[in-house]
Amino acid sequence: MPALYSDILLDHFRHPRNYGSLDAPDISNEQFNPLCGDRIRIELKLEHSIVNQARFKGDGCAISTAAASLLTELVTGADITQLANFSDAQLIAALESNIQPARVQCALLPLQALREGLKDYKL
Amino acid sequence: MEELFEDIDRLTHAEKRVAMATLVATRGTSPKREGAKMWVGEEGRILGSVTIGGCVDARVIAESEQALSSFKSRLVEMRLGDEDAWEIGFSCAGDLDVLIEPVDLTCPDNVLDCYRVVRSAIDYGKRAVIATLLRDSSRKLLIIEGGEISGSLGTPELDREAQTVAVELIRRGVSSTVSIGPDSSSVFFETHGPPPTLIVFGAGHVSMPLVSLAHDLGLKTIVVDGRPRFATRERFPDVDKLLIGIPSEIAETLAYTSSTFVVLTAHDYKYDLPVLKVVLPARPAYVGLLGSKRRGKAIKEFLQEAGINEALLDQLHVPTGLDIGAETAAEIALSILAEAVALKSGRSATFLRDVK
Repeated sequence: MPALYSDILLDHFRHPRNYGSLDAPDISNEQFNPLCGDRIRIELKLEHSIVNQARFKGDGCAISTAAASLLTELVTGADITQLANFSDAQLIAALESNIQPARVQCALLPLQALREGLKDYKL
Repeated sequence: MEELFEDIDRLTHAEKRVAMATLVATRGTSPKREGAKMWVGEEGRILGSVTIGGCVDARVIAESEQALSSFKSRLVEMRLGDEDAWEIGFSCAGDLDVLIEPVDLTCPDNVLDCYRVVRSAIDYGKRAVIATLLRDSSRKLLIIEGGEISGSLGTPELDREAQTVAVELIRRGVSSTVSIGPDSSSVFFETHGPPPTLIVFGAGHVSMPLVSLAHDLGLKTIVVDGRPRFATRERFPDVDKLLIGIPSEIAETLAYTSSTFVVLTAHDYKYDLPVLKVVLPARPAYVGLLGSKRRGKAIKEFLQEAGINEALLDQLHVPTGLDIGAETAAEIALSILAEAVALKSGRSATFLRDVK
């Protein structure tokens, strides 16, 4: 059974990677949890179809912040055609923590922003 | 809007000539500060007060009526010893000077023109000072924050010195009479600025009475939250601005001055930590955080780890508010605003009967 909050989750919460904004991002989407107030924006800069840079910004709990931070690392260098297949389970597994059912939506908030952003980009 | 401008608007529609009485100097204890105003209309209307009522205001009203009859300004000096104070009901026992200036509301007037310019400056978020030579109140110098000036106190030397004094008084946000120039001329510096602002991060239940009460106190209010379902006009009917988005990102876009109060009511680290990282270095007049001492200690430790220094952390009031036994949301709001106002005024927030 993984720890409630793993070292990797706490490290990404305390020292988030790729925090900030991009100038003229190709993809930008912000999602929020209407009740708890977590708000995360994901931004991507593409070179052809490859994610050249990824940033996130937001005020969220430890889980959503760490998930956003990890997600930006995971997607950098990826082809956006493959990102559509990035699963909930992949991101939750990357957190190496025992994410309770009630907190799954926190972990998936940045992924939701990524998916919505990809949808907009295709449009 | 400042009460002064509301009074001018009301009188402009109701009176032709009014006397403007301004408290320009106090010594000893006084219930009002320099700059307090009372308006006495020719038709009998009275707005404002230079004390808290009683015989002193009555005397000012009588002097105002005489100033209106002669249409000449006068400086009324009230030297009140303890016995005099008791006799005329000025139980606070202090000396005060009141400048009374007749104003014609029906034609262009130097005084009204000054306030028009001041009002416009405030609308642009600037502070302004009207410097008035007390021995001849028709001589006025208007100084707008940023360097713009108009009018004159009579000599370039006085004007230059007045500008220097005005800069300091703008910084402190106070009005005061100061002696300047080679012959120590008494000049009253009347400082005006944008209304104090309360910025509340978190649109929860404590924030609702907090904003209503702040509105009643004349503060401009801003509520910030990431949740559109909470930050609504229905919940905050008195609020000036509702801002929805990433709170720390919004915090970076707001202005913080010596008249800005910030209160964090979310009681959630996800808002408190990133917002405090932005707000504390901006040094507003007051930063209060809802929460226990234990929670406050943990938040401070986290902020310290994030690079916020001890001096900035000392500015944080956590738990926020005064110890008045507050339990309901309205009582908590009262306790927070009482602390913020006391701090801004440099007062200890103790029982008045115990103040020496």
